Amino acid sequence: MVSLDLAQLSVREANTRLRALGEAGEDVEILNPDARHHIGVGLTAPVRVNVRGSAGYFCAGLTDQAHFNISHNVGWGVGDNMYSGSVVVGGNAGAIPGVAIRGAEIVIHGNMGSRAGQVMKAGTLCCVGNANFMAGYMMYGGRIIILGDSGERLGEDMSSGEIFVAGKVEDLGSDAMLTDIDQGELDSLHEFLDRYDIKAPKGFSKVVNAGTKLRYGTSERPMRSIPFQSFSGASFYWNPKIQEDIAIKSQSGRYRIRGYGGARPLPHFSDIGFRKSLASAGADRNVIDKVSMDTEIGGINGARPLKLSMPVMIAPMSYGALSRSTKQAIALGSAMSGIAENTGEGGMSDAQRDAAGQLIFQCLGGRLGWNIHDMRRADALEIYISQGAKPGLGGQLMAKKVTPELAKIRGIPAGIDLRSPSRHPDILGADDLVIKIEEFREATGYELPVSVKLGAGRIRDDIKIAAKDGFDFVELDGMQGSTGAGSSEVIDNVGIPTLPAIIEAIEALEEIGARDKVQLVLMGGLRDGVDAVKALCLGADAAAFGTSVIIAGGCIACMQCHVGTCVTGIATQDPEHEKRYKPENESQNIHRFLESVRWQIAAITNALGYDNVRQLGRDDLVALTPEAAHITGLPYEPVPVDTATFNMGTAP
Amino acid sequence: MCGIAGVMYRGVGQSFDTGKALIQMLDGCQHRGPDSTGFALYAPEKSGRLKMRFFLEKLIEGDSQDSINTIRGRLGELGAVVEEEAQVGDNYRVTVRFGGDIQKLSYEMERAAKVISIGTSLEIVKDVGSAHDVDDRYDVHEFRGTHGLGHVRLATESDVKPEAAHPFWATGFADVAIVHNGQITNYWKMRRRLQQQGFEFTTDNDSELIAVYLADKLAQGAALKEALASSIDDLDGTFSFLVSTQDEIGYAKDRLAAKPMIMYQDENLVAIASEEVSLNRLFPGQALNTREPAPGTYATWSRSI
Repeated sequence: MVSLDLAQLSVREANTRLRALGEAGEDVEILNPDARHHIGVGLTAPVRVNVRGSAGYFCAGLTDQAHFNISHNVGWGVGDNMYSGSVVVGGNAGAIPGVAIRGAEIVIHGNMGSRAGQVMKAGTLCCVGNANFMAGYMMYGGRIIILGDSGERLGEDMSSGEIFVAGKVEDLGSDAMLTDIDQGELDSLHEFLDRYDIKAPKGFSKVVNAGTKLRYGTSERPMRSIPFQSFSGASFYWNPKIQEDIAIKSQSGRYRIRGYGGARPLPHFSDIGFRKSLASAGADRNVIDKVSMDTEIGGINGARPLKLSMPVMIAPMSYGALSRSTKQAIALGSAMSGIAENTGEGGMSDAQRDAAGQLIFQCLGGRLGWNIHDMRRADALEIYISQGAKPGLGGQLMAKKVTPELAKIRGIPAGIDLRSPSRHPDILGADDLVIKIEEFREATGYELPVSVKLGAGRIRDDIKIAAKDGFDFVELDGMQGSTGAGSSEVIDNVGIPTLPAIIEAIEALEEIGARDKVQLVLMGGLRDGVDAVKALCLGADAAAFGTSVIIAGGCIACMQCHVGTCVTGIATQDPEHEKRYKPENESQNIHRFLESVRWQIAAITNALGYDNVRQLGRDDLVALTPEAAHITGLPYEPVPVDTATFNMGTAP
Repeated sequence: MCGIAGVMYRGVGQSFDTGKALIQMLDGCQHRGPDSTGFALYAPEKSGRLKMRFFLEKLIEGDSQDSINTIRGRLGELGAVVEEEAQVGDNYRVTVRFGGDIQKLSYEMERAAKVISIGTSLEIVKDVGSAHDVDDRYDVHEFRGTHGLGHVRLATESDVKPEAAHPFWATGFADVAIVHNGQITNYWKMRRRLQQQGFEFTTDNDSELIAVYLADKLAQGAALKEALASSIDDLDGTFSFLVSTQDEIGYAKDRLAAKPMIMYQDENLVAIASEEVSLNRLFPGQALNTREPAPGTYATWSRSI
């Protein structure tokens, strides 16, 4: 056994050595841990680690196969996201022990803090002492054993799995119920307790999901086909959209779910124009060769940056909302154009990883599909806080799309109406967030950029926190961003439009002198290269496209993404429907669209008199409406030179 | 968005290295708040004396001596006799002989200068930067006393400036200080209620409100324990805070337990912090028998026990 002494080594150095020793099959003891955070994070070898003392946050987090023994206490989130292996804690555990575990065994000999086993998918979490409130909160599977008393609201909003309590069950959370325990389960519990030398109690109460909240009584009714143009039309009273909304609610009796983004007039990039004549744009067929567009994102703090052939990337969209073939086509198209793709929520598929040149792996509050192995094969990691279409809410995936295969990747029960948690279990403030970012960096050897996805809401404060917490870049998403499924009321009424979002973000960074400490990727209803150039002029480092890429790849904008029977095979998990989608063809369409974006960016940049996209700035823009002038502070010059005088010559 | 720490040594009539202890504890959790750091340090002064600290405005044109003269002049007018004075970092520190109404003196001085703290044993030191940065400027490590609080801050909704740093003194109430991690959501409602009773606030920070709220209860004759019990009912939001008076230290934690807190006690001291890593800084190489206070609970410790 090799000793690593944390009185001599930093946790980062110790973890690097630990991983190397793990590869060599060596067991390790950690001396003088003194409650430091991230001990053992990212270890994926079947070795034993003995921690002599107390450990801090995320001890044994993001690991697989290893066996940890901590002689004393642990802080928040012990065994975070662990795949297999075990952790035995001699003393007490802080909040969220066993958060998001996917198969490990965790034993705590003392008491454990609140929200134990939050969003766990599989495995066993056993507490010999008492549990604090909300053990089993939003758990998707696996087993929690509490030999002492349970706290308040046991099993709050659990979707599946079992909780066994030997002591007192104080009260049950929403959608949890007591049920009978069978002999097979008892035998299995005794086998587990024997294995860890824990004396079995006389009996257990068993708590499971009561099934009252996971599925709607009536399923979401398909809409009539209203083209998006009329759906988002400018007439306010009793237009087809309003009528359809009322008709659907008269059947379901609840709020509506639909796909796509905000369908109402909002200030947008069409409300600003270029100051200079763009008469020369397009004249030069080789303009792409004359403008430097290579863009690096995520390297400002020393991580290995994403290398984009133009300041463009793909917006995060999930495998789940979209079919596997669609994600594959987007990945192929993005690779052909030399830009980065993003997994969105719900995990990484092999097809997507193989096809994408560079891939950002997104981590959401439900930790659906999140794991150490896919983190390691990603090119960047991203913490999702919220999205522009529905800031403050989690993702929604209707039962029709939660197929057994998809459920397996996400680690959830098949066939539930999945409402992803809107909050992370372990990020309750900017202070916790710092420790979470560090965990990701520890797990991946500080090589990958870590970004944050922010829906435009409390932008000024959020962007400052992102800067202070040291994210490598920020993806900022405005209200015009789309979603695979969201409440129609929220999509149309909640959020900050993309244009004011970027203005406020830049102002906030300038206020704290951090303009050069954060790279901003802007998204939310950006349609083409013209919008991208305007975003760059306003201060974005890159623009991201979601909906336009989907449309390039065959979407007909019927807004039925939530239903699961997408006629184009894009927003579906039904193999019969997906058959219609041809990734090899659609990837070419996506690639061609992205190349048109490249050409637009080059042509406009060139016409504005520059040879590098980094030279674009606010001075290149004017506001075309008083409202846009007010929002952006740009001069109101509603007759831009490029449209009025182009090719008309001068008056005699 | 912060880290908090508190320590109280047992042993009547003795003094301890509270400054060094708090620097260590705060350095241990500096990751929770890199913007500013502060200390509330307690050491009893001779009877009839008050210790006062003021911010000297760096940005004001002219000499800081002008501000010192203003403060000194105003103190004289209010019947406070200066016995000792010094300029420490960006602070003016003064000990006065004073027998009048401390609350009235405080409010009058607030109008003349930026008061950091007033007390018979309390002194607050706070500024932008890390625990070691602030120590370099104010020699916190030299401070010996009985107990104290500390705080590291990441500014989220207000500016990074010394006045917005913690600890907060309960404006107008000698020796009451607080450090807080969290957010009080019924701040304005509570503040209006206290303002109607005549209390004055010098910042828009919710932590100052907790300090004044508790000090008011104490002034009405409540024990610190009782004041903390009612704070859990009266304050909305997420919070873990520590409070200290001339001879007591206490904590309160909201029912959601969204903000961490962990404590350790033995025959020599009681220490409380956001994270165990801070407690362990006082006992390197030892595994501590710590305890996490339950949600919705409070407790106090007094120097006499």
